[in-house]
Amino acid sequence: MTEQQANIPVLARSGHSGHCTRCLTGLPFSLVTVDSSKLPLIFYCLGSLDLLGTLDTATKESERESWRNDIWGLHAGGAWGSGFKPSWYMTGSDTKNDPQRTYETEFDTPHMIVTYTALLTLAILRDDFARLDRRGLVTFLRSSQREDGSFTSDPTGGDADLRLTYCAFVICALLNDWSGVDVEKALGFVRRCRTYEGGYGSAPGCEAQGGPTYLAMAIFRLTSDSPNFLNAVERRQTLRWLLQNQDCSGGFRGRTNKDADACYCFWCGGAIQILGATELVDNVALASFLGNCQFRFGGIAKAPGEHADPYHTYLSLAAISIFPPSESAGGGSWAIEPLDTLINAKSSTAQWAKDHIPSKSM
Amino acid sequence: MSLADDAPLPYSQRPEWQDVTPIPQHESLSPLAPIFYTDEYRDCTDYFRGIVTTGEMSNRVLQLTEDIIRLNPAHYSAWQYRYKTLISINSSLDLELLLMDEIAATFLKNYQVWHHRRLLLTYIYSQGPETKGPDLLLKELKFIEKVFEEDSKNYHTWSYRQWILSNFNRNELWAVEIPFIERMINEDIRNNSAWHHRFFVVFDSGVRQGDENREDALRREILYSKGKISIAPNNLSPWNYLRGILDRTKTPYESIEEFVLPYTKSEESPESVVDLDNPPPSKGAHLPAVPAVEFLADIRESQGRISEATELFNLLGDQLDTIRKRYWDFRIKEAQELSQKS
Repeated sequence: MTEQQANIPVLARSGHSGHCTRCLTGLPFSLVTVDSSKLPLIFYCLGSLDLLGTLDTATKESERESWRNDIWGLHAGGAWGSGFKPSWYMTGSDTKNDPQRTYETEFDTPHMIVTYTALLTLAILRDDFARLDRRGLVTFLRSSQREDGSFTSDPTGGDADLRLTYCAFVICALLNDWSGVDVEKALGFVRRCRTYEGGYGSAPGCEAQGGPTYLAMAIFRLTSDSPNFLNAVERRQTLRWLLQNQDCSGGFRGRTNKDADACYCFWCGGAIQILGATELVDNVALASFLGNCQFRFGGIAKAPGEHADPYHTYLSLAAISIFPPSESAGGGSWAIEPLDTLINAKSSTAQWAKDHIPSKSM
Repeated sequence: MSLADDAPLPYSQRPEWQDVTPIPQHESLSPLAPIFYTDEYRDCTDYFRGIVTTGEMSNRVLQLTEDIIRLNPAHYSAWQYRYKTLISINSSLDLELLLMDEIAATFLKNYQVWHHRRLLLTYIYSQGPETKGPDLLLKELKFIEKVFEEDSKNYHTWSYRQWILSNFNRNELWAVEIPFIERMINEDIRNNSAWHHRFFVVFDSGVRQGDENREDALRREILYSKGKISIAPNNLSPWNYLRGILDRTKTPYESIEEFVLPYTKSEESPESVVDLDNPPPSKGAHLPAVPAVEFLADIRESQGRISEATELFNLLGDQLDTIRKRYWDFRIKEAQELSQKS
């Protein structure tokens, strides 16, 4: 073992698992802003358990059954198609959990990011997707694409950055049905997000940032038969910028001259993996940074000394899955389940989704 | 009046709200990640669900949605309903913008805050592009600069500024950008958002009035980057900017070799006649500068001087930038393969 390998601390697996199960049990009011993004939060919690391999021991089948039903309670169709609504916060107490429910108002429509995370969360919970309105989902995608190729968060409007394009594309890939989207137009929008640094901004004109750069790489790869979706010059420039973002702490930053943050170890690292250059990253320095981001009461924080949250916990585990240190590092505690980097879920979960989400009649 | 009277009554106890039926939130038997709501939030949102069900749009709805937004700025149903209500009852959007000045400053990192402003600005502008437009938008650019005093790298704020410029695309807006950027960069020379914005304004969104001579523009921008590099030679932002403008204008990197060389040496060059086109590293700078060594290696590689390029990549990987050792080794391999092919 090299001296550096020896400096990697133990990955506190049970602590991180505990952090996520605690968040599933309840959140303080100070976190009320996640009320409208409850499903993404749940995805990060359950996804962490999935990557750690503790889902079956940390949760009971009766709980998982009831959670599946709860999530289907957010499934609704209407004038703009079907998908999953952001939260229960607009659902009245007299409402029955009926997955075939229609949304009554334009203020409670399905949401693109939430629909993506709901599908993955249901796959983590090994749902059979019998209740999914597939045709409605295709309609929903179609109603959310704009003239410039981008997608909005919901069919009546809202943000239209690369997060939405990515979610729309993964939904198509999981459905194995691209008929709801204009792929070429969408790719044109993504290309316009490229900046002079070689990274991508969240919308045309925006600064290069790790998150959108991962999204752009995944979007291109999802629709390309080969890993050579960038030309040689572009690829070189993008790799240079991505690798430049690993700073002396061992962690990645999201933008030039900012500080390293655990989540960018996945966003930049995932983009690097999609570009086929995993071996160029200093995985030992990366693990030692993430090891230092561990919160003493469980969970992983964005930086050493900060408080942990499920978002940084999940993305750190995903990064470790791509860039594991040696098997013996930290007493052998760093082995994480393999990841499907394009879909951003454990490989077997992504496979479950691909097996069960497409229409059976096709 | 006692102090206690200042605290507003819950909606459930306000006589003027008795005509609305509050709707409690759906709760399942084993809810996933429930938030422990405060009574105040529960009270507001119960009435909000009630209002949305009846479709009422009125002044009191504005109060209710403001209360919710202050408790949870990410409650986007409340934002959506508020916007529809403002338009539907013809409420003053100028006043709304004033209120939003305060709310935006409190919740800088929230997506909805900035989205709502975009909707407001678009609507107000459409009411008189030539009469109200310029003033409105220039005021907005000033507001954004004020917000940068709190957080000069906030991504939402920068993309909002970029949206205003490209969406409304008015000369009087573009005209204030270069002086603004210089203020931002002088404040923090490492603020990459400001450097990015400079590229966006000068090269990425059409040609500005008075900047039609592109060769002059290129010369000016190269000189500007060189000046900033000389102050802080290891600052990546101006180096990336410089690479960006050379790439964009297809100018070979070797055209600035003379400038780069002194930055790749460990010692300061002896004082010579000051060359204003090629400012030397500032006194006491940490040399050799990693971005300069990389830049020179790129020049050598492009010139086919592979052994010199290799030496520079090795200097980076072994001494100056060891975290990227594997990358610099990869660059050596790539350079050697390239030279064998040609």
